[in-house]
Amino acid sequence: MNPSPELTTPSRFSAGELIGKLGPLIGLVFVLALFSILAPATFPTLNNFELILRQTAVVGTAALGMTLIIIAGGIDLSVGSGIALYTVVIALLLRGGVHPLLAAAGGIAAAAFCGGVIGFLITRLGLAPFIITLGMWGVLRGAAKGLANNSMVYPPATGLNELLQPLSADFIWFLTPGAWIMLVLAAVVALMLRYTRFGRHIFAIGSNEQTARLCGIHVENTKLRIYMLAAAFAGVAGILQFSYLTMGDPTTADGMELNIIAAVVIGGASLSGGQGSVLGSLVGALIMTIVSNGCTKMGLANWVEQIVTGCIIVLAVALDRLRQRRMS
Amino acid sequence: MDTETILKKGLTMRKLGLWIVCLGIALGVLACAKKQPATGPANKGPKKLKIAVIPKGTTHVFWKSVEAGAKKAGAELGVEIVWKGPLKESDRADQIKLVEQFVAEGIDGIVLAPLDSEALARPVLNAMQKKIPVVIFDSALKGEPGKDFVSFVATNNRKGGSMAGEQLAKLLGDKGKVVLLRYAVGSASTEEREAGFLETLKTKPDMTMLVDNRYGGATVGESKNEAMKLIDKLKEADGVFCPNESSTLGMLGALRDNNLAGKTTFIGFDATPPLVEALEKGEIKALIAQDPTRMGYEGVKTLVAHIKGEKVPPVVDTGVRLITPENLNDPEIKKFLGRE
Repeated sequence: MNPSPELTTPSRFSAGELIGKLGPLIGLVFVLALFSILAPATFPTLNNFELILRQTAVVGTAALGMTLIIIAGGIDLSVGSGIALYTVVIALLLRGGVHPLLAAAGGIAAAAFCGGVIGFLITRLGLAPFIITLGMWGVLRGAAKGLANNSMVYPPATGLNELLQPLSADFIWFLTPGAWIMLVLAAVVALMLRYTRFGRHIFAIGSNEQTARLCGIHVENTKLRIYMLAAAFAGVAGILQFSYLTMGDPTTADGMELNIIAAVVIGGASLSGGQGSVLGSLVGALIMTIVSNGCTKMGLANWVEQIVTGCIIVLAVALDRLRQRRMS
Repeated sequence: MDTETILKKGLTMRKLGLWIVCLGIALGVLACAKKQPATGPANKGPKKLKIAVIPKGTTHVFWKSVEAGAKKAGAELGVEIVWKGPLKESDRADQIKLVEQFVAEGIDGIVLAPLDSEALARPVLNAMQKKIPVVIFDSALKGEPGKDFVSFVATNNRKGGSMAGEQLAKLLGDKGKVVLLRYAVGSASTEEREAGFLETLKTKPDMTMLVDNRYGGATVGESKNEAMKLIDKLKEADGVFCPNESSTLGMLGALRDNNLAGKTTFIGFDATPPLVEALEKGEIKALIAQDPTRMGYEGVKTLVAHIKGEKVPPVVDTGVRLITPENLNDPEIKKFLGRE
């Protein structure tokens, strides 16, 4: 199932690879065109596109971390619970009078710690990431509720609340800070995956762990770092979610891990590891937001929207599979 | 024919199949979309107002009644009603997304039942700044009605909770042990009811609270689980109160499973058909009912009046009623419950 090593080494763009990269983009253009035709008055507007980007920021940022994990052949089911926990941590810090920047850093630190625990358990206990993170899914959600004393945490208003607010009508082109955070981080991760030793090791582990080990890669340490880094991105997503809600909510982002995984998979990543791209994951996240946005614009009922989203996930992966067969 | 050609042929077939699936979905979406203009404006004459009504969820019977009321008002006033709840029931972030989407679309007005009194305040403010009027219904929003949003259309929830407390005290002869299963954290309407209930019971010296800090959660299933965990307390209790439809149904299920239904004096909130049925059977001793249909109706009517430049009151009380097995057949109550 895994692609041959030649495909995963940092190589020049081959024609096949180019098509592989473009696949999700074609999907993006398709849904954009579809809804522009179906809801011409309300869907293709500047305001709406800005909104779509803004509403993708949380899932998109968390998807960056998930991309790393999935490329390395792992999975993280605890992200949604984690995001809820980090909103609570940030809100509690703010309520304690901590400077907003420090509170945000505290959220990321808490996230990195949780990621460290997950990575530690996976590498030291040698259990499947699915099981460990399924456990952590409950642990982190419970921790969030406990820490928040089973209630919402309402902090005083700070600059953090503005991260995902729309800019005033004249400056809407400049995008909200949250969208920039997602885009800049995405660029950093994409470069890291392609050009750093750590990035190549991630692909190597996901393609074939045994081979990677034989090649002298310290698999355990690398995995630990992957989970910590990925969780740090979930921490940033937590900051954005906090900003969106303007409060700490231990019940928020319930099931969001599935949206995040779906975004990565729509983006062309393989759940068996060794494959995936940052651009693809962002596009996947955008497609999910656009479908939900477009369905609302068309006045579709929720159940229709859920069925459509489900079909698109299956379809995207099926098309991707087809493309890969043709390439090999 | 070598294997490669066979493989290729298989692939083209599969590709064809995929495109058919693809087309099917697109057509399906189109078909759903086509239905729209039927309920929408006839396109001739002056532009029809388009109003979004956003509930907290879409599956509870309660919200269906709100929908009926809102659509009725829409039909009477000649306004197009877009009914859309958060995709995930009770998800704050999802509801914020909806409000933002309707604002970006430049809809004529929004009628909203906020899932959180604080989290939805900012999106509503943004809407009002963009001259999109918002009427809040069912649950309170931080801010001043009439200024930060057009109007607040709701049940006087504290009165409802207090009514439940009085009725329970009356049925138990002013003494006994009581369990309160709360609804969900951060929901203003149910917290008011819980507060009203507790306030009233505090005035009765011989009535004590066994449990008053447990939350059932957003769904019937969760509430039932939570009630099951409290089973020892429920066996000890003389009276039980739940502050909304899902917690009442969940508690009812737990009482039934433990043969306590009808033995414990149980008062619930909201009057949906399964609850009224239980009231008839004597499993529930009294229900406090809001008027969801009226809430949806008044919400839309208030908003439209505001858009048309009329002056509207900042708070509209949609009333609560006490329903007991005795008054269940009164013509007025029958009409209220829609059981004629």
